[in-house]
Amino acid sequence: MSTVIIDSSRFGTLEIASEDVIEFPNGLIGLGGSRYALVGATEDGAFSWLHSIDDPSLALPVANPWHFFGDYAVDLSDADSARITEDPANVAVYVTVRAGAELADFFANLRAPILVSEGRGHQVINEAPEAPVRAPLFPAAVAAAA
Amino acid sequence: MLLITRRVGEKIMIGDDVIVHVMEIVGNTVRIGVEAPRSTPVYREEIWHAVRDENRAAADAAPIELPSPAKA
Repeated sequence: MSTVIIDSSRFGTLEIASEDVIEFPNGLIGLGGSRYALVGATEDGAFSWLHSIDDPSLALPVANPWHFFGDYAVDLSDADSARITEDPANVAVYVTVRAGAELADFFANLRAPILVSEGRGHQVINEAPEAPVRAPLFPAAVAAAA
Repeated sequence: MLLITRRVGEKIMIGDDVIVHVMEIVGNTVRIGVEAPRSTPVYREEIWHAVRDENRAAADAAPIELPSPAKA
């Protein structure tokens, strides 16, 4: 089994199985690199890191949106649907996380989810009306802090 | 920057395979159609910038330990 090594500045040496490498044909918006892997998932599966294979210092925390937003929905444009061309049942959905010092400072980008299917990833624009770019991940903590 | 005057119904070619249609003009609003290859994503500029900023902010995250949702 072939593997890819990431000399991660955040996690040290990571060994990624080749079949776990995710190709992003269009990259992530505004970030370099087209090859990433999901690493360091939390036990509950709520969070993991999308780690660049091309840039050892580039990693983004991502979340499973349904751990936090039970009624989250992704509505794709026809063009994006055509680009991904997969059975929606086989598509894994992640949202990027802006992590802060306190729980109240954690936000998820519900507007631009990352869809992963069969080794390919796309960051798409969610056309659903209720999909903020910066949604509090822990609204109870925000309310308590207010 | 290239400046071009176009009327409703006219088009602009960008390279060989991106076509921009001027569909309709109402007041100060222009409806535009973009035909691009599947591999070329098309974004509204302000959304592209907002998503780029969030991606960069996510990549700059300091904490190693991510919280458990049960904590909230």
